[in-house]
Amino acid sequence: MTGTDHTRRPVPSSAVPSQAVGPVHCGIVPPYLLAHLATVDDPRFSAAAEAARRSLRVDAPIRSLRSSDNRPTARPAVPAPGMAGVVRRTIWDADHLQSLPGRIVRTEGAPPVADVTVNEAYTGLGDTHDLFWSRYQLDSIDGRGLPLDATVHYGQAYDNAFWDGQRMVFGDGDGEVFNRFTLSLSVIAHELTHGVTQYSANLAYRNQSGALNESVSDVFGALAEQYAAGQDTASASWLIGEGLFTDEVQGQALRSMKAPGTAYDDDVLGTDPQPGSIAGYIDTDADNGGVHLNSGIPNRAFYLVAAAIGGNAWEAPGQIWYDTLTGSDLTETSTFAVFARATETAAVARFGRGSREHEAVRTGWDGVGLPLSPLRAAS
Amino acid sequence: MGAMKVVVSRSGGLAGLRVTWDVQVDDQPDAAAWMAFLQQLPWDEAEDTTPAPDRFVYRIRCAPHEVVLAEPQVHGPWKDLIDRVRAVSER
Repeated sequence: MTGTDHTRRPVPSSAVPSQAVGPVHCGIVPPYLLAHLATVDDPRFSAAAEAARRSLRVDAPIRSLRSSDNRPTARPAVPAPGMAGVVRRTIWDADHLQSLPGRIVRTEGAPPVADVTVNEAYTGLGDTHDLFWSRYQLDSIDGRGLPLDATVHYGQAYDNAFWDGQRMVFGDGDGEVFNRFTLSLSVIAHELTHGVTQYSANLAYRNQSGALNESVSDVFGALAEQYAAGQDTASASWLIGEGLFTDEVQGQALRSMKAPGTAYDDDVLGTDPQPGSIAGYIDTDADNGGVHLNSGIPNRAFYLVAAAIGGNAWEAPGQIWYDTLTGSDLTETSTFAVFARATETAAVARFGRGSREHEAVRTGWDGVGLPLSPLRAAS
Repeated sequence: MGAMKVVVSRSGGLAGLRVTWDVQVDDQPDAAAWMAFLQQLPWDEAEDTTPAPDRFVYRIRCAPHEVVLAEPQVHGPWKDLIDRVRAVSER
């Protein structure tokens, strides 16, 4: 189904800036971060403004690497016998340039190097691979042992990290608002999971399917962190990108899965705009239809499922979401409602109708305003 | 002819933070050069945006024109335009 009108909601004026812009000599729409940084007479942020300007000049070389040939839609294949589950990591250093991949600085099995950023990327990829392999038997991003490639020190003070279709790329941050992006395991795992999604459900990165793509990356980003730290649902932070903001910023993280909209509240950044229920769905053209905003809704649904089940979230809750992502019930343009139903189907398939896990899934979606109608008896 | 204004909005990125810069062309000391530059931009030739995970998205408006570019598409004259608008806006 392609119709999405029924999913659109009025835009809360407090959550999304209007198209109107500020005064000419201000040239920004408060409260968002970099715009304000550019004009405040605050020495804390002078380097951030310069970093923001540099970040504009760092993208052209990637374009040639991205082609439709790199976006397979095949479901993960059965791992090759004998080689399954062997992680193969390579870390490159872009040396603050804007070209990829850079030069190789650490390969699989090599000892740590002096550069902490390289080691964080290497360890983070290993931790994420370990979650997917040991918990869900997914052999790397494509299910066939795809080597894990990452480039660090991308651009100068680049305030972002991304998956380019082939590799994970991490900026250093400007050091005043953003720290280096390898500092957070949930961010590293978030990027790697974009690869997993590309090779499985391949959720289109726009509107609701895009917000689901983002949410799935946050879910397994959080789970990789929890799994590595041995944290259960009750003790985990459920934050994405904890520690990415410097001490100058009033905020804990980029996003909160447990309480979307509460990750930061800063005089420069403004307030975390994420909605935590469908009533707050943000209808916007920006950000590919608000994929980083509306992801708060399925994020919180996952948290509520995990809270209802209790224990370790990478077990039943993570398994249900993994089964959903790699199963056959999703299309590339699945809506929240389709995804929610698919998680219920996955829970029933693995744990049984009326099981605690099944009921937890229903509770979770109900909690974000997306109640599931009664499931028809299986044919 | 009303006042000419260029507005660049950047959204997306891992953090999902939105930023907007703008320039009131008529107020610029080199307004004529701005006008000439804006008029020769390939407004009608912009490619369809291909969304890319966690990359920035740029929306550039200069009535009656508007283009949306994914970060990997920002190069050549578009990169030049964004750099210029940003530089003036942050002055």
